[in-house]
Amino acid sequence: MPTLPLSAAGQIALAAGLAAAAVYLLLPKPRMRSVAGGIAAAVAALAVFSLWLVQAFGRPSHDAVGTALFALFSTGALGFGTVLVAQRNPARGAIAFSFVILSTCGLFLLLAAPFLMAATVIIYAGAIIVTFLFVLMLSHAGGGPSGENDRTREPLLGSLAGFAFVGLVLFTLYHAAAPAAAADADDPSAPVVGKAALPAPVVTPDERAKLLEAAGRFEALAERAKALDPADNQAAREAARAWLTDYEREVIPPSLLSSVTEPGGTPSPKAASVPPGGSLPRRMTAYRHDGQADAAKARASELYRDAKKRFNAAEDAIGLRPPGTPLDTALFAREAHDTRGDIRLLAGMADLPARNVGNLGLLLYADHLLAVELAGTLLLVATIGAVAIAGKKGAHS
Amino acid sequence: MSDPVGLALTVLALLLAATVVTACFNTSLLRKIAHWPLIVACGSAAVVALVLLLKVHDAAGDAAVRFVSEPVTWFQAGKLAVNFTLTVDPLSCVMLAMITFVATWIAIFSGSYMHGDRGFARYFAVMGLFVFSMCGLVLANNFFLLIAFWEGVGVCSYLLVGFYYDKPSAAAAARKAFLVTRLGDTGLILGLFFLWRLTGYATTDLTTSFDLIARAVRDNPAKVEELTAACLLLFCGAVGKSAQFPLYVWLPDAMEGPTPVSALIHAATMVTAGVYLVARCAPLYAMAPEAQAVVAWAGGITAILAAFFALAQNDLKRVLAYSTVSQLGYMFMALGTMGSVSPTFAVTAAMFHLFTHAFFKALLFLAAGSVMHAMGGVIDMRRFGGLRHVMPRTHLTFLCGAAALAGLPLLSGFWSKDMILEALTEASEHPGPHSGTFYTLLLVGLATAAMTAFYTFRAYFLTFWGARRIPEEAGHHAHESPAAMTVPLVVLAFGALFIGAAVEPLSGHALSHFLGRTPSLELASAAPGVHAAEAAHGFDWALAGISSALAIGGVLLAWWLYGGGGPEAVPDALAPVWVASRNKLYVDEIYHGAFVKPAETLAFISRQFDGFLDALARLISYVPRAVGLGLRPIQNGLVQFYALSMALGLAVLLSFVVFRISR
Amino acid sequence: MIGLWHYLAVAAALFGIGLVGFLTRRNLITMFLCAEMMLQGVAINLVAFSRYHGNLHGQVFTLFVVAVAACEAGLALALFLMLYRRGKSLDASDWQGLREVGVSQTLDTEPLAPAPAEEALPTLTPAGARPARTEEEPARV
Repeated sequence: MPTLPLSAAGQIALAAGLAAAAVYLLLPKPRMRSVAGGIAAAVAALAVFSLWLVQAFGRPSHDAVGTALFALFSTGALGFGTVLVAQRNPARGAIAFSFVILSTCGLFLLLAAPFLMAATVIIYAGAIIVTFLFVLMLSHAGGGPSGENDRTREPLLGSLAGFAFVGLVLFTLYHAAAPAAAADADDPSAPVVGKAALPAPVVTPDERAKLLEAAGRFEALAERAKALDPADNQAAREAARAWLTDYEREVIPPSLLSSVTEPGGTPSPKAASVPPGGSLPRRMTAYRHDGQADAAKARASELYRDAKKRFNAAEDAIGLRPPGTPLDTALFAREAHDTRGDIRLLAGMADLPARNVGNLGLLLYADHLLAVELAGTLLLVATIGAVAIAGKKGAHS
Repeated sequence: MSDPVGLALTVLALLLAATVVTACFNTSLLRKIAHWPLIVACGSAAVVALVLLLKVHDAAGDAAVRFVSEPVTWFQAGKLAVNFTLTVDPLSCVMLAMITFVATWIAIFSGSYMHGDRGFARYFAVMGLFVFSMCGLVLANNFFLLIAFWEGVGVCSYLLVGFYYDKPSAAAAARKAFLVTRLGDTGLILGLFFLWRLTGYATTDLTTSFDLIARAVRDNPAKVEELTAACLLLFCGAVGKSAQFPLYVWLPDAMEGPTPVSALIHAATMVTAGVYLVARCAPLYAMAPEAQAVVAWAGGITAILAAFFALAQNDLKRVLAYSTVSQLGYMFMALGTMGSVSPTFAVTAAMFHLFTHAFFKALLFLAAGSVMHAMGGVIDMRRFGGLRHVMPRTHLTFLCGAAALAGLPLLSGFWSKDMILEALTEASEHPGPHSGTFYTLLLVGLATAAMTAFYTFRAYFLTFWGARRIPEEAGHHAHESPAAMTVPLVVLAFGALFIGAAVEPLSGHALSHFLGRTPSLELASAAPGVHAAEAAHGFDWALAGISSALAIGGVLLAWWLYGGGGPEAVPDALAPVWVASRNKLYVDEIYHGAFVKPAETLAFISRQFDGFLDALARLISYVPRAVGLGLRPIQNGLVQFYALSMALGLAVLLSFVVFRISR
Repeated sequence: MIGLWHYLAVAAALFGIGLVGFLTRRNLITMFLCAEMMLQGVAINLVAFSRYHGNLHGQVFTLFVVAVAACEAGLALALFLMLYRRGKSLDASDWQGLREVGVSQTLDTEPLAPAPAEEALPTLTPAGARPARTEEEPARV
């Protein structure tokens, strides 16, 4: 990887200056517009920026696919953003904007926010862009008599101000990241928060595999229970015994249960002192107590308790029931099916956190209900306002 | 509604309603009939007041009688609790009847006199308020309530004197009247608080506070000095309102208002307020002989001074105005004898004169108004003359009024003036520190009587006798006034001729007896050191003879000098006196030099200083303006320019934060 | 590994590009699109933090940002339509009437390059007269 003979601040300044020059050259104006020069400067700025990024925040070593996708999407967003700014024709600008949106959505996806991605695509690409194009058509987007598409307001000052702002923000980022990295270097056992690595899922893939396996067993059990003849007393008893044997085996991975926080919300000291053999000590779950992790833990413990209860009930049923009476195989099947569903849901938490749209909904309607209501009201008012504004017959038209 | 207090309230309600209704009549359609509400209200109020008078008279019998309305708290502040309460006693109901009666006829006269004026409705609305305030003042049984109505009277007089507000002299006269009476009002308010203190901060109700103060002074004679101060301060108010020396200057100028207003002010409403106030506070004055001397002196000086001024005035209304001042001085002389004679007698004398004076002065002013109406607004006696054939009814009624004012024997003015002179005689005979004062004042009174007769008839002869002269403003249709104007004149003329005889000698001193039943006067008679023995009203033939002789002498002198009508010829020997009289002894000029000029100079200096400060402030104000001039171009209306400035500012701030903190 | 900082840096750059566009472009619609782009930068920020903290609050917040952006878009478009109806122009610089009294109007002095002549639209060559139907040819339904 090539390095630049410049300090971080110098690199930022260089990138910002190049970007400003690029945008200045690219902006539509009567004189001093050079598309080729602008593109060259833009590419150079992007290169310097990426170099600085790699140098400052660590080079992408493993996860080559993720890195490549990140590079693709971010380059796409910035590139199409530049196109939008530089494009004379607003309709083409709108198309470029839709590509910016798509790139952003890719980044959302990388950030494990698939629902947001979908929502953004629908709202922006589907609604806003279409409306914009509609307005553009209504207003004969050929450029007015003042040539607003061919002129810019203060191109030099504007690009300088904008990129100076960006440079300052990047510089701040750099300074904020430096102490964290230093702390990381001092203490190798420290949690990876300092490195600002994005965390692992709540449920590790290991645990997820175990859970899925258990779920498969229960599914098979349910199928078998359904196929049983209730009158066939002996077979039913066999099946019940098999079910109980399954319960004897490990259903919930103990690592999930051991990280359960005490009711009351604060992370228990026990959680931190999990035996070092497991995958837990470095896991974020042990140190976090956000809603997502709490929900996973709570669900795991609940499932564990339910399973135990069912185990006991089944044991009682077999032991107390007189040998002649038929067993309720349908009940068996239902119970087995339910247990299987619960386990699968728990395993589903192992997926990327935000793929769990259900959790997002839970959060929206539990923690942010007022905000949801307010946003809804705002939308309604805005709709009415837009209708009122656009419906007014212009006095001078 | 048949109890006396209810009747009194009815009077007030009628007048207030008339005011409000009239105020709503100021539309082009209704303006022509805007006088009717007031005439009806005044007329019914007069009837109600008469009924009230009879009721109180019946209730009085031989005992003192007083009806006090249930006190309602008007406002309260700390220890000060002010009640809204009215009192009806002989003194107030005589005043009430007189005011409403005279006001009724003036209202009828005005309906014709003011006909076609732009402010027709305004005139009657304010006049209604004026009469209402005066009635309220008479009835008020609380000092604060009294002051409220007192100020109401002042405001209405301001509005009416300045009725022709687009005329600078009228506006100036209104301002003068208001400011000069305000001088006195300040004293009144201070005196009021003094009295409140004397009651031990207990009450501001009149009747109760009189009792409390009387007891306090009896218990602690040292408080007399405090009481004297309070009485003098109250008298300040009376001086302002009743146009006594030295604050009389506003009254002659008040002629700028419409003539019926002058009649109202001079006869019934405004100027009698001061006399009434002193009469009402008789229990206090009776206990303060020093204050009494001041009252008497002020009255005497005013009486003779104003009479002297009236001798040579050319303006008919001005003659009448000075005669009012002079007659008011008479009344105060009578009030000043209180203590040296029985308070009942003194107050009766003053009130009797006030009563008769209301009739003949209203008559004289209305007659003058009638003359003015016919002469097209001219009131200068040098410009007209010999009107007795042109305006026969006006001439006869004016003659009645003039004779009554001059105090020709057996007419109203004769009886009341005689009573005042009698009081003065009695006071001068009463052994006391001030007997010399009263003797002097008796002579002053006699001299004033002679001068009154002279100037009244001078005006009469100049106006109605001699060759017929009519100013060109009157045009060719100088004529007698319409019936709506002459009927009030005739009614009032009967009053001027006979009312005095009717209420005193012919009815066995009915007025004296009735007024004597006023509780506050009885309280005054009970004050320590008061000569309480009520003298038998033996008619003093000698005094009556002397005053009649003087009056007739004055009339004859006037006839001798002016019997042939104007223009007047002044003997050379008397010319300086004439000039002095015509110029009012230069009192106005002295006031102007002594008070107005210094105040103007001070105002001028203040204004210059203010201008200097202004310039300084303006200089400071130029600094932000200059800064603004420099900054203005950045407000160029371009949204993006603003956004750019915002982004630049943000960048600068951020860089400051970053480089400052990262260091 | 791509970490939080990478996302934040990209978001800042996106925000900056949008800011420049908003400051310099004069077409109201382009300006608005640039503002939306700035919002996208902020949204990336929020989502990245959401991922960083392992919870969903950032995403919820982004949802609200999107909702507000939608409102804004609706209102802005209505306003643009009204402005266009009044002034027949979408130039933000045409609306400088709110400037201080006495400040002269900002006018564009630089001449524009002459607009390239629009290519003539292809036209069909006029066809000949309609051939008359022959009797032999059966009428097609």
